[in-house]
Amino acid sequence: MSRPYTAGRREILTGGSAAFLLAAVGAPGRAAATAPDESPHKRQLYEAARREGELTWYMSHTNDVTAQALGRGFESAYPGIRVNVVRTTAQVVFQRVSQELRAGAVQVDVFSSSDVGHHTYLKKRGLLEPLAPENAGKVFENYRHYDPDGCFFVTAAALIGMAYNSARLKETEVPGNWTGLADPKWNDRIALAHPAFSGFIGVWALTLRKLYGWKFFEDLAKNHPQVGRSINDTVTMLNAGERLIAGTALSGTVGENARKGNPVSMIFPSDGSVLVLAPSAVLKGARHPNAARLFMEYLLGTDASKVWVEHFGEPLRPEVSPSGAVKSARDLKTIRPSVPELIEGTPEVIRQWRETFGV
Amino acid sequence: MKRFAVWGALAAPAMAGAPDSIWRRLLRLEPAMLLWLFAMGVLLALVANPMFRLAVASFEEPETGRWTLANYIAAYGSARQLQALWNSLELGIGVALLSGVFGIPIAWAISRTDMPAKPLVRLLIFGAFITPPYLGAISWILLAGPNSGWLNLTWMTLSGADHGLFNVYSMSGLVAVVAFSSFPYVFVLTESALDLVPSEMEDAASILGAGVLHTTLRVTLPLVLPAILGGLVVCFLEAIALFGAPAMIALPANFQVASTQLWQFFEFPVRAEQAAAYAMPLLLITVLMIWLQRSLTGRRGYAAVTGKSGERRPIRLGAWRWPMLGYALLVCSLSALLPLLVLLQAAFSRAWGRGLSVGNLTLQNFRYILFEEAQAREAILHTFAYAGASALAAIGLAFVIAYLVRRRLVPGAGLLAFLCMSPIVIPGIVLAIGFYAAYSAPPLALYGTSLMMILAFTTRFLPVGYASASAGMQSIHPEMEEAVRSLGGGRLLAIRRVLVPLLKKNLAGAWILVFIPAARELSTAIFLVGPNTRVISVMLFDLSEEGNFEVLAALGAILVATSILIATIGFRVIGRDFMLRRGP
Repeated sequence: MSRPYTAGRREILTGGSAAFLLAAVGAPGRAAATAPDESPHKRQLYEAARREGELTWYMSHTNDVTAQALGRGFESAYPGIRVNVVRTTAQVVFQRVSQELRAGAVQVDVFSSSDVGHHTYLKKRGLLEPLAPENAGKVFENYRHYDPDGCFFVTAAALIGMAYNSARLKETEVPGNWTGLADPKWNDRIALAHPAFSGFIGVWALTLRKLYGWKFFEDLAKNHPQVGRSINDTVTMLNAGERLIAGTALSGTVGENARKGNPVSMIFPSDGSVLVLAPSAVLKGARHPNAARLFMEYLLGTDASKVWVEHFGEPLRPEVSPSGAVKSARDLKTIRPSVPELIEGTPEVIRQWRETFGV
Repeated sequence: MKRFAVWGALAAPAMAGAPDSIWRRLLRLEPAMLLWLFAMGVLLALVANPMFRLAVASFEEPETGRWTLANYIAAYGSARQLQALWNSLELGIGVALLSGVFGIPIAWAISRTDMPAKPLVRLLIFGAFITPPYLGAISWILLAGPNSGWLNLTWMTLSGADHGLFNVYSMSGLVAVVAFSSFPYVFVLTESALDLVPSEMEDAASILGAGVLHTTLRVTLPLVLPAILGGLVVCFLEAIALFGAPAMIALPANFQVASTQLWQFFEFPVRAEQAAAYAMPLLLITVLMIWLQRSLTGRRGYAAVTGKSGERRPIRLGAWRWPMLGYALLVCSLSALLPLLVLLQAAFSRAWGRGLSVGNLTLQNFRYILFEEAQAREAILHTFAYAGASALAAIGLAFVIAYLVRRRLVPGAGLLAFLCMSPIVIPGIVLAIGFYAAYSAPPLALYGTSLMMILAFTTRFLPVGYASASAGMQSIHPEMEEAVRSLGGGRLLAIRRVLVPLLKKNLAGAWILVFIPAARELSTAIFLVGPNTRVISVMLFDLSEEGNFEVLAALGAILVATSILIATIGFRVIGRDFMLRRGP
């Protein structure tokens, strides 16, 4: 509690006794917190956004801790605007968005999914606002021009590999590539997530199907993996010793859990780690359009990249160097399907998954 | 009060003789009449309309709204979806039976015998009642995860086995977890019925040479059969309606139940109409259960339970007192003590997998919830505000309707009573889908608003309020209100000054009984929640997805502790315990 903590408006307004304590510490440097690289465009946007006061961000790019850190980072860079962070898995987030659309009551301003199919679907129906963020041209070249019409932008790049419980297994005995998961010695030892929840798993399954065909999953199913929901859940199963191998793991989540003292290590398979480019967009008719645009600038800016690195994620901006603690996509063999393949294939993969794994 | 009544009796003939024009009577009736109409309107909007819209939607084509049977064909066209329904039945029956095994012996022991430590057992059962099933599920994942659960680790250490004893990720695991949280219903209903059975019947049996066991099984328990069956039916309904616990346990165990299948219809692309079609048999099953219970018990006489009979003496168990207490404590440990302990352990741990050690202790999870995770604070406020408001609304509505029904003020009173009680057979998730269909779109456009959540919770727990208000009103003779009216006071005055004060404690108790489940409600909330109306239950569900058990446990602990606090203060103030019985 005595930790220096930058209090935003939100804490002071709503936090009850917490706000009281924080207010006693003081809300330091409100004006000074404004980022130095502010262009006139962004200053204007900030002024307009401040009048809106808040925005709602549905996101499935990462675990809750990183999501909250990104939200708080925005709040301290742009005081006076609060971010309502709702973190859950991609398919669940999209379920909420579709329910809102059907009800004609759109609550979400910025929508971040790990399944690009969602964004293409919304774009096709004219539900996304075309944007031209200043920062869009400043991210790593690979991450630019994801949508030629500027309706959505890559705001996260995540690496999917495998992970293992390092207290129970030695580095030499773990599988070195994806097909190693089918080895019968991992019977009852593997944890997986579910593509009908996690967007990352959808991309992963599609990539692996392209590499090895569906037989890969039929072999995998013979090892009775435990199927959870979120890709982050597989790491929890390792922490606890419930399972020994995470068949799918985000390198950021593994890094974060290892820092907490859990015995987990990442495996980057020799046949390639799956690189997921996860997009964000602003919805047409969003209640807080200016705050939403400013938030897009933030997600594509250096501040957000720094937060990602702090939480073992991949920085989008070249001027921010990756965390030394985990490997970066910049030095690894990565594989990823094309956007049309993803749009076409993901619903199909979910169906096949249900047939093979029974849930 | 007595003097008041006498006054009224004296004044009545004089008043009756006074000339009274129709207009003046109408004027005098008007405010009360408006209230009746308003209450009936609200009842129709809350209960009848959503269910009607749901039924209609199940026959509609999604885009065009044309009549079709395609939704039913799609909903039942796949073997996996039929299997899910079957699994729900299996779950419901398993939970009902197991709840009986847990609840009936303890109810008997507390009501009829001299088993020691009754207050402790009662307190622990209250703990089991207040722990939401999805938190129980998390606790049991931590306790009985096949390779990492505490119980399994202990067993493996003691026995040297390389496999644990229990596997929470299975149908039997799910049945046990749900039964732990629902057996209090069987306990409460059975015990309050047993409390009314006089010892004379048992005496007669023992004079004829029957032993304690024989008497209990052949005389005592059959006398309270309606209450037992009622409890089992409630457990069955609870189990097939649950969403959270099955989502956490069934999925890793590789099976679906009806509620998780219903959720799938809301995955992209949303197939609300198919969901409506799929929900119909759930409604039929529940109606069937209620009918079955009625017809099983309806034909026999249970007149011995009159509430007026004579003496009750506890049965002396002798040395058997201790095994009986052991059994009660075993059930209580499994349902309340162990789950709450393991929850607290996780809440104060850096990483729960590392077990109990000083280095693993932390307050960080609570700090994260209260200071860093900006939504959690709001969710906590929303949870208790919505629960409080819906408890108030449910009691208010139930009170007015119960008055109309009991005093026979409007035609079709039976139908009103039926509407009030019917949400008890509607699974929360189905109710939410009905609400979504009826009120999310313009003109009302309630989707994502607090009002939507409050109205849905009000509807869901209306039966609790109604049963309570109706029972309370039954005990009060109309003569006292008539006294007020004969003195020229209106109905509203009579209600305000006579009925409400008399029923104060009854209504306060009912408020608590609605508040507790409303504060933890997940299955209704999950479909109606918006980013600005998040509640603890939904947040816990989202946290459970990514296995963030430490933070989840901290938030869950806050929910349970606050519920216990509010309930304890409430019961103290009104001087009753959680079964609404008068305290000593």
